[in-house]
Amino acid sequence: MSLDTLAAAGLVCPAPAPATDRVQLGHGSGGKLSATLLRQRFLPRFRNDVLAQLGDAAVVKVGREELAVSTDTFVVSPLEFPGGNIGSLAVHGTVNDLAMMGAQPLYLSAGFVLEEGLPFDVLDRVLDAMAAAVREAGVLLVTGDTKVVERGKADGIFVNTTGIGRLLPAFRPAPDRARPGDAIVISGPIGRHGIAIMAAREGLGFEAQIESDSANLFPLVDRLRGALGGAVSVLRDPTRGGVASALNEIATQSGVGIELDETALPIPGPVSAACELLGLDPLYVANEGVFLAFVPAAFADDAVEALRMHPLGRGAALIGRVVQEHPRLVVLRTEIGGTRVVDMLPGDQLPRIC
Amino acid sequence: MKYLSEYRDGRVARALVAKIRAAASRPWVLMEVCGGQTHTIVKQGLDELLDGAVEMIHGPGCPVCVTPIEQIDRALHLAARDDVLFTSFGDMLRVPGSACDLLAIRARGGNVRIVYSPLDALELARKHPDRQVVFFAVGFETTAPANAMAVWRARELGVTNFTVLVSHVTVPPAMIALLGSPDNRVQAFLAAGHVCTVMGWTEYEPIAAKYRVPIVVTGFEPVDILEGILMAVRQLEEGRHEVENQYARSVRREGNQPAQDLVSRVFEVVDRKWRGIGEIPRSGLGLRPEFAEFDAERRFGLEGIHASESPLCHAGEVLRGRLKPVECPAFGAQCTPEMPLGAPMVSSEGACAAYYHFGRLRRPASAEV
Amino acid sequence: MCLGIPGRVVELKDDEGLRTGVVDFGGVRRDVCLAYVAAEVGLGDYVIVHVGFAISKVDEDEARRTFEALREMSQLDELEWIKDVAEKSLEALPEKVP
Repeated sequence: MSLDTLAAAGLVCPAPAPATDRVQLGHGSGGKLSATLLRQRFLPRFRNDVLAQLGDAAVVKVGREELAVSTDTFVVSPLEFPGGNIGSLAVHGTVNDLAMMGAQPLYLSAGFVLEEGLPFDVLDRVLDAMAAAVREAGVLLVTGDTKVVERGKADGIFVNTTGIGRLLPAFRPAPDRARPGDAIVISGPIGRHGIAIMAAREGLGFEAQIESDSANLFPLVDRLRGALGGAVSVLRDPTRGGVASALNEIATQSGVGIELDETALPIPGPVSAACELLGLDPLYVANEGVFLAFVPAAFADDAVEALRMHPLGRGAALIGRVVQEHPRLVVLRTEIGGTRVVDMLPGDQLPRIC
Repeated sequence: MKYLSEYRDGRVARALVAKIRAAASRPWVLMEVCGGQTHTIVKQGLDELLDGAVEMIHGPGCPVCVTPIEQIDRALHLAARDDVLFTSFGDMLRVPGSACDLLAIRARGGNVRIVYSPLDALELARKHPDRQVVFFAVGFETTAPANAMAVWRARELGVTNFTVLVSHVTVPPAMIALLGSPDNRVQAFLAAGHVCTVMGWTEYEPIAAKYRVPIVVTGFEPVDILEGILMAVRQLEEGRHEVENQYARSVRREGNQPAQDLVSRVFEVVDRKWRGIGEIPRSGLGLRPEFAEFDAERRFGLEGIHASESPLCHAGEVLRGRLKPVECPAFGAQCTPEMPLGAPMVSSEGACAAYYHFGRLRRPASAEV
Repeated sequence: MCLGIPGRVVELKDDEGLRTGVVDFGGVRRDVCLAYVAAEVGLGDYVIVHVGFAISKVDEDEARRTFEALREMSQLDELEWIKDVAEKSLEALPEKVP
């Protein structure tokens, strides 16, 4: 079978590269491919100043009010996992995006695509979790939509939630506001959500005592705002792509370098063990219940202390700093004193055995 | 994690670095032939810490990287077939063949699945009797026992829809080929700890004696590698050239006998082509004739695949340790992990990938002799 | 293909004639084929696992001996080392739900 056969089967690509003419899974992973997709195909068609900010949420003016708007679509599989399900995740995800812009979440909409054949008891559990999350967050679900597609077209349930929030006074964290000298704080331990999902999936066949950290972060953000106010320059929740991707984005948008201390990263034992087993780096594993905060170095201890007083922030830690050197690069100081670059991944992190 | 975390202890590591620097009376040139060790060295910045005392050259220790393009193309061809469920370790998915990679095939509707163990692939074959399950059996001697067991079990359990596409290579012939090359600069080797866990180290004794090179069987964590390097440097300083075992918690001289036994019942030694190096006689493993029915190349008639390699790709020189990744003209330019020209840039164990992801702050080495 | 991780055997099984078991890796558990170490491994032993197969039993005495030597070499204070190891063992316990 020569290359001709491959060509006849329509399998020859135009260049020695992964299929460049269609969407790949990596485009959704939050890494370099995602960024490229956005930059090359989406942004040019929808140019405006608000979109260009590329924050977790958009800040728009309606009359004299400034509101934050954010949307997110959830396609997680399996639908149910230790620590939550797609319903609770869909609420937390959007509420958190608003919180990261310094907005208090107020209203949500929810659009559902349901797959033919989805058992009602699964749907009920998802909706129950969603309702509980909505109540806990103190928001109102004010509008929604439901569609049903044929068996095989939707992995059970896809959900989109869109949220509206009110910007809080004198509190404007933004991804381009990091400055050399800032301290970088994380509100809790990393890697739990991604590993919980992987453990719940068949095929990799391991059990772990890990639950997703999916949670509404606004109360914790508000606690930090109460302590430091406008001194908080950046907030970001490291979801898909993990802490590494989030920090790389901020480093790029702010034009600064970032240094991390390996020994300071709070990684729970089982997350670390699962990552060893699968050959994954915890810095790239998704989180749904922690956020990164950039604050002036002088306030770093206050920030950590304020976070630790809240149940969700008990594992808060100072993990690094913003520097002038190596702009747009994130560098890790290893336990043994060496350094290495923490790069953006091209696409999904693949479990490796090697 | 017990028996893992201790070997990342910063204090012990730094003390070992100091000992190595004190012991080395001149800069020695060492080679590791294991992608896992390359990964640790670059990721932990060990080469930086030893700069001036020891130069680490990265050998062809990544079986993914040395898999010939024709074999990747065969994999791609199989993965594209409607009746095939193609299974592989995650490492292989982004390795470029002549045209595409497995991930692209998956994007176009091919059935490609990542498994953690070859037994998982066999299980898939039992679960889906209507599909042909093919497992991409790539690896060094470490992985051969696992692949052998999968084939053995397939026969024992009467599974008829399971085949393996074999690309196994063995380390000692590659070391001999490197040592026999006229411009070889390597003065001592770190041998791969898990290859030796399976095979023991008897095969390395004649190599150490004939070529007068110290060989230290070494583990994978920073403390292991530094201790291995210290043992090698001490041998060099004392003019010894023996095989020593740093990874004693896992490796014994005779290795794992039951594993070796099953491997030799299922596989036989064959000549293999190493991407970027060429053919090395008796450097690979292939299925024995008795197990031919499990050979994917046989079942699917995959002769006649011709491969083409990008002329810009210097993977061969990198794999032989002749070129450091950062010295390759295409590094970071035409060749990046998103658009790789060759396997070392995209395999997680590849030297180019390690330098690209972790080592972009490193200066290229000054001109070598 | 080198990734081999140490873990503790917590269960022994027979899978249609194949010696298997469950191995615990610092709080994460997985089925592992024990056929290649069956003669020497029992519950509580540590093994090195590669692609779902145990390829060796960890020689704990040897590991202890080596680490003693390394510790001495790096002249760590005895008490500090014990404290360190104790902390690391605690970290290895499965984490409770936050």
